[in-house]
Amino acid sequence: MNAAAPSDDTLIRIRGLTTVLNGKKVFDALDMDIARGKVTAIMGPSGTGKTTLLKHITGQMRGDAGQVMVDGRNVPELGREALYALREKIGYLFQNSALLTDFDVFENVAFPLRQHTKLPEVLIRNLVLTKLQAVGLRGAAQLMPSELSGGMARRVALARAIVFDPMLILYDEPFVGLDPIALNQVLKLIRTLNETLGITSVLVAHELEAIKQVADHIYLIANGKVVAQGDPKTIADDGSPWTRQFFGGEADGPVPFQYPAGDYAEALGFPGGKP
Amino acid sequence: MNARVGDDNIVMRSLSQIGDCGLFLLQILAAVPRSLRHARETVRQLWFVGAMSLTIIMVCGLFVGMVLALQLYHVLSIFGGTAATGTVVAIAIYRELGPVVTALLFAGRAGTAITAEIGLMRATDQIAAMELMAVDPLAYVAAPRFLAGLVAMPLLCCVFCSLGIFGGHLVGVSWLGIDNGTFWSNMTATVDVWQDIINGVVWKSLAFGAVVSLIAVFQGYTAPPTSEGVAYATTRTVVASSIAILALDFVLTAFLM
Repeated sequence: MNAAAPSDDTLIRIRGLTTVLNGKKVFDALDMDIARGKVTAIMGPSGTGKTTLLKHITGQMRGDAGQVMVDGRNVPELGREALYALREKIGYLFQNSALLTDFDVFENVAFPLRQHTKLPEVLIRNLVLTKLQAVGLRGAAQLMPSELSGGMARRVALARAIVFDPMLILYDEPFVGLDPIALNQVLKLIRTLNETLGITSVLVAHELEAIKQVADHIYLIANGKVVAQGDPKTIADDGSPWTRQFFGGEADGPVPFQYPAGDYAEALGFPGGKP
Repeated sequence: MNARVGDDNIVMRSLSQIGDCGLFLLQILAAVPRSLRHARETVRQLWFVGAMSLTIIMVCGLFVGMVLALQLYHVLSIFGGTAATGTVVAIAIYRELGPVVTALLFAGRAGTAITAEIGLMRATDQIAAMELMAVDPLAYVAAPRFLAGLVAMPLLCCVFCSLGIFGGHLVGVSWLGIDNGTFWSNMTATVDVWQDIINGVVWKSLAFGAVVSLIAVFQGYTAPPTSEGVAYATTRTVVASSIAILALDFVLTAFLM
């Protein structure tokens, strides 16, 4: 077996991923393993490349070096047909839902089925209604995306992401804009999908309390590398400066709160740079 | 794309855009066979860019024909040649005004709508969502709009020409009193099907349809994903299409005459 090939219990294996964007090193020889059938959370300060990492997994972006193995295939080396075949097995929940604005809720959820299958209309209808029932929006099937709240749109996008029962679902900030009831239901849904269908889930999120309830494994990334990892309890008990600052919400620590800038007093116009 | 050339060099930037647009055309043409399985989407776009443009095309065609007949009648009356009004109206409309004005109106009505729609789809991640659902946006979004524009333009041009000649008849015959038989017989005797209708209406409008649709889809597809980016792209569609239509009209006329 190839050294970088994933073992059976590893769905995604990232090795030495290095990405430079606009002169900034987003990933610096990043290594990461995502276990098959588990819920894995990727956390980290804003701008550390969490969404970019998802884009590498789906082949939307290619790194400057390294491997991104998904289900035994190195994503950066896949051609168009192979990449699309892989994407049919991946569900992706966008930060902003990305619903197709020309279609109503029902047609949005039915879209992947209509594009990739020739299922009879009755079966498509039943599948779509089942998924909409799971996210609590069966009654909103005829609404247009413009008539939905942000939280409802997110749930429709989630129904669309799971309509094919994919092997992997990537959630980009799934909890933003959800009220406590919807949040709880989405958490239950992620867990249920994982337990009943064995779907591997990767979540990018900042809500530690929610993540603790649903994640089996947490990666904390900063400065282009994994700085901490483990199950939620291990991460919570970890006393490293990274975890202390991130989960404690402290401004001072290894992650600078301020974006790099010149001298503050000088920028305010004080002579000689002194107030 | 623009990073390849200096922002200050407008000539190089324009050439770079034309080059990118040419490469984009090849991508669309390659995606056309794949887009055939989205025939329903192509028909939907044909309705959107074609049928929905009918009102403006018909109204403008009518008024262009009317004003043309009015002007020509007064000029031709100086030489006692008012009987040729119908002929000159028809030749002017078939050869030049029909395809050119239809294309300019099409760029303003349908081209801008295509650019804004695709630009907003990109800004709201709808294009990215399609890619992640393994649906090729070139085959589902770009190619159907390009094909719809290509098919709609000649049809709209025919409608424009028909309404233009009807407008000329209204003013020349019904208002200014030219003999009805003279109006039609002079026109049918002079207008040549190949030279005036095939070359003028069909080839020119096909070429203009391809150029306007390509520019509109390209500008939308490459628009920066911001409100300002979409606004600029929409403006660029009108400006670039207008210049391309008039320049191409000169080239085609020179070759087809």
